[in-house]
Amino acid sequence: MSDVILQAEGLSKSFLSGERTLEVLRGVDLSVEAGQSVSICGESGSGKSTLLHALAGLDAIDEGELLWDGSTDTGAERRGRFLGMVFQSFYLIPELTAFDNILMAARMLGRVGKPERDRAASLLDRVGLVERADHVPAKLSGGERQRVAVARALMNQPRLILADEPTGNLDEHTGEAVIALLLELSQETQTALVLVTHNKGHALKTDRQVLMQEGRLIDSNSGH
Amino acid sequence: MPWSLYLALKQLFPSGKRFPFFTAISVLGVMLGVALLIVSISVMGGFGREIKRMIVDTQGDVQVRARGYLTNPDEVLAVLETAPDVIGVSPFAEGVVMLEHNSKPAFPALQGVDIDRINDVIPLDDYIRTGSLDLLDDDSVILSSRLAYSIGARIGSFVEVYSPLLLEKMKADEVMLPRELEVVGIMEIGHQSLDSSLVLVTIRRMQELYGLGEGVHGFSLKIEEGVDPDMAARRLNTILPDVAPHAFARSWMDSNQDFLFVVQLEKNMIFFLLIFIIVVAAFSVTSSLLIAVVRKTREIGLLGAMGGKPRDVAMCFCWQALIIGMTGTIGGVGLGYFVLHFRNDIIATFTKLTGSEEALVRFYEFSNLPAHLSDQDFWLIVGLAITISTLAGILPAWRAARLQPVEALRSE
Repeated sequence: MSDVILQAEGLSKSFLSGERTLEVLRGVDLSVEAGQSVSICGESGSGKSTLLHALAGLDAIDEGELLWDGSTDTGAERRGRFLGMVFQSFYLIPELTAFDNILMAARMLGRVGKPERDRAASLLDRVGLVERADHVPAKLSGGERQRVAVARALMNQPRLILADEPTGNLDEHTGEAVIALLLELSQETQTALVLVTHNKGHALKTDRQVLMQEGRLIDSNSGH
Repeated sequence: MPWSLYLALKQLFPSGKRFPFFTAISVLGVMLGVALLIVSISVMGGFGREIKRMIVDTQGDVQVRARGYLTNPDEVLAVLETAPDVIGVSPFAEGVVMLEHNSKPAFPALQGVDIDRINDVIPLDDYIRTGSLDLLDDDSVILSSRLAYSIGARIGSFVEVYSPLLLEKMKADEVMLPRELEVVGIMEIGHQSLDSSLVLVTIRRMQELYGLGEGVHGFSLKIEEGVDPDMAARRLNTILPDVAPHAFARSWMDSNQDFLFVVQLEKNMIFFLLIFIIVVAAFSVTSSLLIAVVRKTREIGLLGAMGGKPRDVAMCFCWQALIIGMTGTIGGVGLGYFVLHFRNDIIATFTKLTGSEEALVRFYEFSNLPAHLSDQDFWLIVGLAITISTLAGILPAWRAARLQPVEALRSE
């Protein structure tokens, strides 16, 4: 029996734009299994980021049901343990070093003992930034910042990583490296990955590809 | 350590950076406000304490006075000496006289004291600058320093004293010669008005000058350390009617309550006005933190995405305000005490530059700027500064807590 860790059924979301109502998500269904990587492609404005935010429990949905590991609890407290997020603009805390940025994820759960420090150090090593541990984000390149963000997303050993255009601010070569790292690490740690991307090449590297079109998801593997 | 406190500390004192500008300005504002309050309230407290010292050192803790004068001083003295809490009693007679030296007249207050008892109540010896209290007898006088200077008298000089009684008799065509008294001491209390107008003679001489016979105007009393003078005066008033029905005991606070009220009022007004400096500094903290909320909108969104609750995000800004308040207060206390330590040097330099040394002594009546900060005033300043600064973080904290993570992340 498959281990579904993310189940979205009939997600709908609309925004008011002046007097018009924009339906951004129109009954989206998506399920992701443990350790599975799924890419979501689509044109700008198709609702990819809104879907990702809805899946993260950050954006309230108008209709539908979202289950994390079979539970409807998608509140802030559970979010920190259940999922890690990677953003296009890295969103590192500028006052913290690379090491402290990674450790911050554990700190927010109230856990900053030796095991957490060791894990942050090993993740830093895994993303190849041991020598940059004490550097603040301003002293890191774009690729390095995104690698720190990936390590941070994995810090609390989440069951799911949601990545929103993680290569959007990187050059092609660096972007390739970051995607390879993200896929490698998610496979190594058996963490599911939902990757929102414009890049079809990156999308093809995931286990499953889905297309977002006018607020609906079309599963390219199933042909829906 | 909660993550909100950790992040607040890191945002105020980031890794690998110097003290950030915003933090420095905010801390400096609180620091200057606290320093100014510490200095001003200390100086006001110092003035108050000096005034208290001068009152107590010239009147004693409690004074027993009669309407007119007491005709049975020995009986009253015997009762007062055995009264509870009383550790020293000295009779006094007082009045205004005309004093003349080298044809320079003055109209000082003459205080007749019992030289065998006065030091039990008032530390007069401490204020004798030249000469000695031991040399004071019925034919001599001790002058206050500015009075001696103004009439040109010094040790060994003779001054002529005309009492109102003497002048009355002269008006009645009696031939009366003024009393000629030798100056055997110069005293300085440190208060301009007292140092310009006080003259000490023996109580016998004063009784003779005012025609009091054996009578005295009252008694100065020293009360045991730690006993409330008001309480002691109340107790004395229960036993006084037996020996002196028209006498009444009053503490130094009671006798000078109007004056002390004005001193306290001035201190309170200065406190009230200067606290606004901290309020203004608090607005600067609010403004800095509001700017920080705007600058860090995406980070606030990120914290939400990482599982941070709005309450913790708000706490992060409250902590920052508290840390700014505490750092500024500690710095302000340090700066305040530093200025207080060098206050007389600062005043001396300033008055030297402006040529106003004489005016300072003349108008402010103290040769040195006094300073005293009571524990109560200290903790009031510290408590208010930290509280006001912390309150300054509430608006930014509320703004930060209201930000929806997803909106904050979209703010890009």
